[in-house]
Amino acid sequence: MEFPFEISPMYEGERIRKSDMYVELGGPTQPGFELVVSANKDEIEDMKFTLIGPDLNEMEEGKAYPYAMIYRIAGELVEKDLEPVVERRNHDFQNYIAGYMHLNQRYDIWIRISKSAVQKGLNSLEQIAKATMMLFKNELPFIEKIEATYVTDQAEVEKRLEEAMKIYEERDERTLTLHDEDVDDFYSCTLCQSFAPTNVCVISPDRVSLCGAITWFDGRAAAKVDPEGPNAPIPKGELVDEIGGEYTGVNEFAKERSGGEYDRIKLHSFFEFPHTSCGCFEVIGFYMPEVDGIGWVHRGYDAPAPNGLTFSTMAGQTGGGKQVVGFLGIGIAYFRSPKFIQADGGWKRTVWMPKSLKERIQEFIPEDMRDKIATEEDASNLDELKEFLKKVNHPVVTGIIRDVDGIKITDGWIEEEEVTEVTPEEEAQALQIREQPQIPSMQIQPMYQPGYQPAPQMLPAPSSGVIKLVLKNAKINIEKIIVSKEKD
Amino acid sequence: MVSVAVTGKGGTGKTILSALLVKFASKTGKRVLAVDADPDSNLPEALGVEPEKTLGEVRELFQMSRDDMVSHDKEVWLEGKLMEVIYEADSYDLLVMGRPEGAGCYCYTNNLLKSILRKFMSHYDAIIIDTEAGLEHFSRQTIKDVDYLLVVTDASMKGFRTAERIRDLVKELNLDFRGIFLVANKINDMAKKVIEDYANEHKFDLIAILPFDEKLAELDLRGVPVVKLNGESELVNRVEEISGMIFG
Repeated sequence: MEFPFEISPMYEGERIRKSDMYVELGGPTQPGFELVVSANKDEIEDMKFTLIGPDLNEMEEGKAYPYAMIYRIAGELVEKDLEPVVERRNHDFQNYIAGYMHLNQRYDIWIRISKSAVQKGLNSLEQIAKATMMLFKNELPFIEKIEATYVTDQAEVEKRLEEAMKIYEERDERTLTLHDEDVDDFYSCTLCQSFAPTNVCVISPDRVSLCGAITWFDGRAAAKVDPEGPNAPIPKGELVDEIGGEYTGVNEFAKERSGGEYDRIKLHSFFEFPHTSCGCFEVIGFYMPEVDGIGWVHRGYDAPAPNGLTFSTMAGQTGGGKQVVGFLGIGIAYFRSPKFIQADGGWKRTVWMPKSLKERIQEFIPEDMRDKIATEEDASNLDELKEFLKKVNHPVVTGIIRDVDGIKITDGWIEEEEVTEVTPEEEAQALQIREQPQIPSMQIQPMYQPGYQPAPQMLPAPSSGVIKLVLKNAKINIEKIIVSKEKD
Repeated sequence: MVSVAVTGKGGTGKTILSALLVKFASKTGKRVLAVDADPDSNLPEALGVEPEKTLGEVRELFQMSRDDMVSHDKEVWLEGKLMEVIYEADSYDLLVMGRPEGAGCYCYTNNLLKSILRKFMSHYDAIIIDTEAGLEHFSRQTIKDVDYLLVVTDASMKGFRTAERIRDLVKELNLDFRGIFLVANKINDMAKKVIEDYANEHKFDLIAILPFDEKLAELDLRGVPVVKLNGESELVNRVEEISGMIFG
């Protein structure tokens, strides 16, 4: 078929101005949508086009019309999961058509057709549909058969839009239920490497980028378009630690990307080989040994957290692509992840966050934890926080049983009357510390800065010779040691 | 496509120059895009139009709503919003970049915008960008590959210093302009020689010396768009010459 218009990627991004416009389809004033669904090969008549409603040459110049584009595709390799991937390309391909502007996606589509295209002979949507189908088949050879139904009749568009909305919703559902274990590749992001050269951003279905901007789906889309670009696939390799989220492929990638600085990264762990933190993260998590819990503070919160430190102080010391045990930068959407620091108790380990942050993610906090997480209204320092956690009987007080495997990972608070001596062996057993025999090479770093009086709570105060530990021939793995001064 | 960025110290008249360039470039039937890339300036006012939205607002909206986009394509989303922000005047389009970035990471957003803007801008014959002296959008590379830089100065030491700083910045950022030109504005006979000597000494390519224009100053004071200036004006004629030199 000969087309009366040119087809080339050079037409992408071209705006058709109102004064040059023949008609507008969909857009701000009319309903519209685009949809790709898969079907069986025998159900499809290849390259068939059906139009319901008026065609271009029956439309009035300068007016806007409802518009639906529905494609049915088939092929040996065509599967349901490919539908959204193929649908996304309708935008690209239609923008290759000179004089045809395609914007947005799904139920937001906005099309303008130029007067000059009409003057050159564009008079039917069939020409558009045929050109688009041709591009689909040429560029995506797994599509063996395709047919298109375009609708410009108001009632019919609205009726079919309702059906399409259900399909979009189902797709979103599927997206939300896609997990790390379901995919072979994760994606990297190197956009921030100029700020944080050793940063290793790993984006998985259950872990959004630290800046919060890039999901696994974004990474996949970007890698498809530009494999040499900032988002490259990381074959995840062998599973090393299911709960912590450790994979051989990620470790190899971390080693290479950080110049050998780090060789292990666990995606869903706070304490053990945590993800590096660039400087872009939306939220920083901080461990408070005094309550054996983790607090989170976001960029928009200026006041000090209960540990006496502000977001910017903590961010300044943690950022730059370091793996700092005791602090962890994350994107806000990571709070939605079912694997949210699951190795260290997830929500059960979370004790504090600013009210505005808590409100933003409220619905993703498990119901039984919602009232147990303090905000600045409940506690602004450690003493108040301790009181609050005791009052609500937070899991950190009595000891955390990890949801993911039912193992008790913390002992809870040791009564203050007791001398807090810790037998390493017992501690290790009680914590069921995982398979790593060696002590992680990183230390919890107390944070100092000039002019800042170190909060006493950051530093274990040496007791005056009460504790004597003699260890011979011992193999120890200690997650934490709490040493507190006896009360007078 | 020919693109030009107009910069210089605040108050030197760079926005007036930008507005007049838009006027003359669009007179010739070219597809013209005006870009207001200076949050402190008022290019829309100088052009006498009132666009409702800025790209800065879109960027903030994106930062806020991206967590809920699930499987929506973010690049397509941003491109659609950019097109909503474009103001269509009679003979040109206007893009207002708007407020500077807030705290937080814009690496990804800017990376998407960079590619969207590059494609979008490639379809215009003439692009005029009114930009602040810090060249923020250039340093972030959201705006790239602009042909010419016009540095506007008045007859003041501050204006000169700013011009030099801008030139240093261009070097530092490795910006690849085909030409950097100095435009002197509000110059009376006495200052003419000073400017010429200055340009010689500092190896600036001085392409125009514009006089102080009382009628223009009066319009400006009354809040009348400068493009409405009618009748004989030496300044306006000179700018038309500059427009011809750049855009043909």
